[in-house]
Amino acid sequence: MTASIEEQYLEAFSALAPQGDPAWLLARRRMARDIFAAAGFPHRRVEAWRYTDLRRALAKEGYVPAQRYDGPLAYDVETVGPGAAAFGDVERHMLVCVNGFFRPDLSSADLPEGVSIKPLSEAVKETGFEDFLTTDDNLHPVNALNSALMQDGLVIRVEAGKDAGKPLHMVHVTTSAGASAAHMRHVIALEEDAKLCLLETHLGQGGAGYLANHVTETHLGEGAALTHIKLQDEAKDALHVAANNLRLAANAKYYGFVLALGARLSRHETDAVFKGEGAHADMHGALALRGKQLGDISTYVDHAVPGCSSNAHVKSVLDEEATGVFQGRVLVAKDAQKTDGRQLSNALLLSRDAGMNAKPELEIYADDVQCAHGSTIGELDETALFYLRSRGIDEATARSLLIRAFLDEVLETIPLDGVKQDIGSQIDVWFRASALAGSETR
Amino acid sequence: MLEIKDLHVNVDGKEILKGITLSVGTGEVHAIMGPNGSGKSTLSYVLSGREGYEITKGEILYKGKDLRAMEIEERAAAGLFLAFQYPIEIPGVTTMTFLKTALNAQRKARGEEELDAVKFLRLVREKAGPLNVSEDMLKRPLNVGFSGGEKKRAEILQMALLEPSLAVLDETDSGLDIDALKVVSDGVNALRSPDRSMIVITHYQRLLNHIVPDKVHVLSAGRIVRTGGKELAHELEETGYADIVEA
Repeated sequence: MTASIEEQYLEAFSALAPQGDPAWLLARRRMARDIFAAAGFPHRRVEAWRYTDLRRALAKEGYVPAQRYDGPLAYDVETVGPGAAAFGDVERHMLVCVNGFFRPDLSSADLPEGVSIKPLSEAVKETGFEDFLTTDDNLHPVNALNSALMQDGLVIRVEAGKDAGKPLHMVHVTTSAGASAAHMRHVIALEEDAKLCLLETHLGQGGAGYLANHVTETHLGEGAALTHIKLQDEAKDALHVAANNLRLAANAKYYGFVLALGARLSRHETDAVFKGEGAHADMHGALALRGKQLGDISTYVDHAVPGCSSNAHVKSVLDEEATGVFQGRVLVAKDAQKTDGRQLSNALLLSRDAGMNAKPELEIYADDVQCAHGSTIGELDETALFYLRSRGIDEATARSLLIRAFLDEVLETIPLDGVKQDIGSQIDVWFRASALAGSETR
Repeated sequence: MLEIKDLHVNVDGKEILKGITLSVGTGEVHAIMGPNGSGKSTLSYVLSGREGYEITKGEILYKGKDLRAMEIEERAAAGLFLAFQYPIEIPGVTTMTFLKTALNAQRKARGEEELDAVKFLRLVREKAGPLNVSEDMLKRPLNVGFSGGEKKRAEILQMALLEPSLAVLDETDSGLDIDALKVVSDGVNALRSPDRSMIVITHYQRLLNHIVPDKVHVLSAGRIVRTGGKELAHELEETGYADIVEA
């Protein structure tokens, strides 16, 4: 009997024995490994992954652990513009990870006062660190895999009352050519009334078919505010699977935005839990995909306490044979009165072969709430296109104007102007490449 | 300027225009009147190149060139302008962005220098003032939330900026009250010039009290059934279309 892909996967990673893990972590890894071995990679018959068959996408290759790379990169991550690391014009601190390992030598050393950054391997040795790892491995087989195999990550902490000021920019680069896999675990912890802006860029080189798996544990203390903007532009054959476990104390504020452009298959999942009253979470995003790409933005929100609000709005532009996925659930507990929970997915299909799967759900046990969910799927408005062209605007420009107009509703929510412009120009680059590809096949 | 010869047009397989012949000279203003469903709007869409309008017979020469061979945007760059009966709302694209993109696209297509932001702004303000198009309207998404009158004024502003050689005004008077009609007609009249031709499509004669045409054609069931001077419009106002259409 041949081994399952899960057995093969764990076998390939068995040589990666973690060095110097504390006892609690070793126990946790073992438990997580068992959970993953039993559950396997999620596939179509697992409801939360119904449209995003990770098992099938992984079955093509035998994955090996990503290798630490300490050499120079082919480009300067800090200065390359749109299409590469992005946010080049935004003043920021750099935090660079290569092949799943933190590279302090490529990162900024001058951190703002009250901000500390440690690699995961050091942070796990601190007393009480395990309290930050809140992901429920039982419910998330991929997170269980991450718990079993996580080899590095960034642990970012902001002290109470401190404003970190300039954004921190995490850049994740994969240089390996083959089917390597990296499992990173990050912790973003803001104490009471702390403020942070975190930018994330995920990049790969060429068409490499690696797997980038990130689990981020985000803890916002009372009144803390995090702005978290992510650009996923992985190599075109890569797999990108990210989960953000978000815990919000009273009056905390989270603004999240993800733009997914890259990868053969990608998933950005947010699992938010409100722990204290008066907190708010925005979890917005955009997919711009073509070819046979699949992109998934999923949002699960647990309104466990009264008086919190959440808003998830995802806009998808899908060309050629691309597929978009939006899944999400807003759960409102029995005594979570005055909850305001919103979920909306709008998709624009640019081709007959593109598709969108949207499944927003509400599960409400309280009786005094405002909740709304919705989904639209449409095509470019031919009448609008004709109107623009009748004024002398060529078809490609007219299409890009309408696509930008469609996306602008979510882009406009980005609270930093420079970052907003940069995300916009990433989309313009994407669109030009799409128009070019279109004109070749026409 | 425009020569239409025995034009037959099908929409969804049904013949809507059944042999139109029309000649509009440079600097002339022609009115096309007719009852609903006579093919007036079809003619305007055929001229602008909208998809779904199939020319089965006949030809259209614009400045001596075969219009059929030109893309929608090429026609615009060559100076053809259609003022829409129902201007399209485009959420997310501000009026200002739209105007600048359109003007510079046309200038570029003609090999002229594109206008920078400062020059463009000065030009828009100069043209927008007389049409009562406010700064606020220019900042809003194109036609979104505009009243009927605002939409029509925005159309005429586009025309004033793009300075076409041939403007086709499709039911520009529809949905306008008397005051708005005056502003719009004054805007159109200000653009009358010996180099610019216009085709004014309308159901009612009242617009032609403001924009006085050189010639009036009556379109019925896809054919021009009568042609005359501006007095023909007055005659129609008194007798209605029934007499002419049945004659």
